[in-house]
Amino acid sequence: MGKITHFIEQSWLLIVSAFFFGLLIAITNAGLSPRIEQNERDKLFKLMGGLIADANSFEVSLEGVEIPGRKGKVLKTDIYKAVDKAGVNAGFAYVAIGAGFADKIKLVIAVDGKCEKFFGFRVLSSNETPGFGSKIKEEFFSDQFKDAPAGEIKLVKAGDAGKIDTDIVTISGATVSSEAVVKIFNTYTDSIKKQLTAKGLLADGK
Amino acid sequence: MASDKAKGPELGQTFIAGLWKENPVFRLLLGMCPTLAVTAAVRPALTMGCCVIFVLVCSNIVVSLMRNLLKPHLRILMFTLAIATFVTIADLFLKAFQPDMSEVLGPYVPLIIVNCIIICRAEACASKNGMVVSIIDAVGMGLGFTLTLCVLAGVRELLSTGMILDTKVMPEAFVPWAAMSMPVGAFITLGLMLGLVNIITKEAS
Repeated sequence: MGKITHFIEQSWLLIVSAFFFGLLIAITNAGLSPRIEQNERDKLFKLMGGLIADANSFEVSLEGVEIPGRKGKVLKTDIYKAVDKAGVNAGFAYVAIGAGFADKIKLVIAVDGKCEKFFGFRVLSSNETPGFGSKIKEEFFSDQFKDAPAGEIKLVKAGDAGKIDTDIVTISGATVSSEAVVKIFNTYTDSIKKQLTAKGLLADGK
Repeated sequence: MASDKAKGPELGQTFIAGLWKENPVFRLLLGMCPTLAVTAAVRPALTMGCCVIFVLVCSNIVVSLMRNLLKPHLRILMFTLAIATFVTIADLFLKAFQPDMSEVLGPYVPLIIVNCIIICRAEACASKNGMVVSIIDAVGMGLGFTLTLCVLAGVRELLSTGMILDTKVMPEAFVPWAAMSMPVGAFITLGLMLGLVNIITKEAS
């Protein structure tokens, strides 16, 4: 009994404070989480809309699609279907994640309705080095993916960046970040294509 | 340090101490992590400063209120608990109302929890003084930290982009120094600023 009294005497303030502070955080989180989730959704939809010009609205086509990652790790993503004003499939978009130079890079990648070519990508979040790795957001790099065949792509040190093919010209001074983006594409493309084909969701039904 | 029943001039001194004499960055060399990490531009530096002011004021109020109940061996634990709570709240508010800035600041907002300025003020001031003194001290220290961050960020942003807060300041012929936006720029600017402050202090004394 003496020990319990001693324990309570010593720690009551800590216990009460932990409860009070926990409650404070829970209330704040409950109040703000709808807005935070909305912000995240808004950003994602804004980026997807920028990639698929004909998109009028988006709907989740496949939820929790499993993508085999590196070292046996399984990544999960949702595939969104873009629908144009006539209600026709205008393409697909999905969030893809991979390791960058400083931190994880989160991309939104869009493909056409038949999953034959990329519409391009936008960076959802990244902490790449300002002035170097951060150039993955710039048109010189991102435009190379626009209309490129939706298959295995490879990074080349030199070439014609204006030519649309499977060769992506690296950003000078940001090889690691350029490689990271290409790896992210290659990790996801095949699996996404297979899943969409298996579920018969491609525009031509194949 | 002003006592519980501190008068106007003493409170004024407590406030001003944070701005110059005991400036957390230039004089106490505290909070170096955010100082180096978020000063590539003025806007994130200002946001970080505001977050630190909020956390400092709230944690100083809480610590000051519970100072007579604190057990010596639980002191630091209680400080950390209070600080972590207010940092989490600040982080949630940023994510809700300033999502772009929250992304720019990344992990540095949650890292305010381990910012030495806050625990230092809780220990050195709030745990020994009343609420008024603690608030004045927190505001002074917070403002001192924010102003320092903004000055550093202003120099770095100006030299790395030629602009401040999206306003073109440097002439067209100016070639931006990309290195100033990188960690090396942060170390060089901070080092030069510290040297300048030391010269001014030496001459003044």
